Amino acid sequence: MASFMNRHADSSVMVRLRACLWSGKSPSPVATWGLLMILLAVIALLSLLFGAGAVGPDRAWLALSDFDAAAMHDSEAHFVIGELRLPRLGIGLVVGIALGIAGALLQAVTRNPLAEPGLLGVSAGSAFAVTLAILWGADAATLRISVAQLGALGGCLCVLAAARLQGIGNDPVRLILAGAILSGLLHSLSSLILLFDQYTADEIRFWVVGSLAGRDATDLMPLAPSLALAALLTVILARPLAALALGEHVAIGLGHHPRIVRFLVIVVVALLVGGATAIAGPVAFVGLVVPFAARALAGPDIRRTLWFCLPLGPIVVVSADIVSRLVVQPSELPLGVITALIGAPVLIAVVRRRRLPML
Amino acid sequence: MSNTLSTTSRSTKHEVTLLSRTQTSSHTYTGKFLLTLPLGKRPPLRIIVDKRNLLANLLMVGLLMLLTGISLATGSAATLSGPATLGALLGHGSALDIFVVRDLRLPRVVAGLVTGGAFALAGCLMQTVARNRLATPGIVGLDNGATAFAVASVVGTGISLAPPAMALTGAAVAAALTFGLTGSIGVRGYRFLVAGIGVGAVFGAITQLMLTRVSIDAANAAYPWTVGSLNARPAHAVSILSLALLPAVLAAIRLTRSLTVMRLSDAVAIGLGVSASRCRLMALNVAVILTGLAVAVAGPVGMVALIGPEFARQISTRNTVPVVGATLAGAIVMLAADLLGRVIFAPIEVPVGIVTALIGSPLLLWILLNPNARTTP
Repeated sequence: MASFMNRHADSSVMVRLRACLWSGKSPSPVATWGLLMILLAVIALLSLLFGAGAVGPDRAWLALSDFDAAAMHDSEAHFVIGELRLPRLGIGLVVGIALGIAGALLQAVTRNPLAEPGLLGVSAGSAFAVTLAILWGADAATLRISVAQLGALGGCLCVLAAARLQGIGNDPVRLILAGAILSGLLHSLSSLILLFDQYTADEIRFWVVGSLAGRDATDLMPLAPSLALAALLTVILARPLAALALGEHVAIGLGHHPRIVRFLVIVVVALLVGGATAIAGPVAFVGLVVPFAARALAGPDIRRTLWFCLPLGPIVVVSADIVSRLVVQPSELPLGVITALIGAPVLIAVVRRRRLPML
Repeated sequence: MSNTLSTTSRSTKHEVTLLSRTQTSSHTYTGKFLLTLPLGKRPPLRIIVDKRNLLANLLMVGLLMLLTGISLATGSAATLSGPATLGALLGHGSALDIFVVRDLRLPRVVAGLVTGGAFALAGCLMQTVARNRLATPGIVGLDNGATAFAVASVVGTGISLAPPAMALTGAAVAAALTFGLTGSIGVRGYRFLVAGIGVGAVFGAITQLMLTRVSIDAANAAYPWTVGSLNARPAHAVSILSLALLPAVLAAIRLTRSLTVMRLSDAVAIGLGVSASRCRLMALNVAVILTGLAVAVAGPVGMVALIGPEFARQISTRNTVPVVGATLAGAIVMLAADLLGRVIFAPIEVPVGIVTALIGSPLLLWILLNPNARTTP
């Protein structure tokens, strides 16, 4: 009986899905969101199972199925999963959410579908600030985060200033170009500093390429307050942003203050990108791919887009991290490389369209 | 090819007769003079020489010789006086001086001269063809493509002749990708450049991927290609580039007249008897070859391709495309940047790629963000 019910339920889902496909309608947003969450759970499990080291998926599965017992009979797998892969998964989740949300917010506030923190120089700004801070003798993890966030704020303000310049704001592609050049400039300044200072170079060499390896779960703790603040502000700002998408006059008529909203959004972006950069280094293109996919699934409303960024960001980052572990076993690949390989074709595809999608 | 050349020569003859006719009636061409070379029985070869361009090029040649002298004389090993440098170059003086000048500094200076000239000439050609001051080979991804292929050959085969050929292939692949992908949107707008940045990012990621995969020794051997440096460059790559640079400059001079009208629009160019697509193809081929071979020597020093032509345009006339001027200016920029990187923080050597990026990026931003700046070259 139970099996019959099951089969019946399955077939009804199939029928509905087929009906959706045939009628050209997409499944309801809530269902899509649920599916994405399930996909995220599967990917998270995979990231625990696969790694670059000796602990293969079978051993990891055994250890996971009875985690406390594994401490006795397979201490290596227990250690690898508990101390290496689990913190890494957590950091991947946080970084993915932060970069995805930041990308969506930055795109909404500059009204530019290509605005991406990595491309626009926000990540480069925070990397430069961290390089300077380490050069001047700072090495505490907490300081690094606030410094990175300040640098990201500087980068954001540059972007906003450039977007306000005459002629630039109306041309999304030109803004991206300016951001890419600014990134290059900051990157070469950072390299110049690294040339001088061997100590700084050693501290930072593995950090500048963007990676999730070798990060501790304790690195996440100092990040918690700023992430909580950013989450709160995002919840408050979602509605004014949706109004702002209709135009400045409409937003004012609905009782919002565009200047304040814009400034607060920039602060949120700086908090998120700075935090993500502080723990994972500059990871480009996530903020482009995730909102792009989210808009395709959820439509133009920023409030829905933000909800969809929530699972999509970690899906992209964690799966890129899995790929980076598996491609070059036994060593690993910087995460930024994989995201660039995924993201650059998306960038080209968007740019190639005859009409750029406007926000 | 032959068609293009014959078209060019025909238009040359036409303009020369036009010029001589106007000169007999009134001296309207004050900025130019006619150089007549007697060729025996055949009619004399007449060349229109622009006075300002001639002056500018002579000035740049002088500057280049001065910079070459300073580069040969200064360095961390020993700083020589002018006559001592010249003597060491000719084989007189102490053995140490001769070794430092002839074996250490001269190859480096020569490498700087040819790579700077090659990058800048490629930049000038591509800017003209794309009708965009910002469209240099570095921005549209050619440098990164060439670097990725050069690094692949170093970490893969280790054959010493391979990097130039591979870098050439890489530049060609990147150019084909960028121009192919932007086929429908054209090369005039900023979208072309952003698509090029995307292509460049893919190749940059591939380079990183290869560098992390290989052993540390191979990665160290490939490292200079990733930053752009003139330090201890392979001699055969320099000689291959030198061999290619001369015909490239001659071809560019040959194309100058067509390129000058190509700056206006395709319709005008075709109306004046220039085969626009052939001219574009020729110029692009030259640019790709020069960029690929130059990357094989010095790595991606793409900003020279922006600064050099910009400098040349400032001091030459606006009437023509300054191909010779751009080549000279590129060599000047490269030598000056290398000298600056060697001298300014003396024991530490700043790679020339970083120096040019620090000079070129603000210039690029200024051109891009200044609402009154011209976007066409």
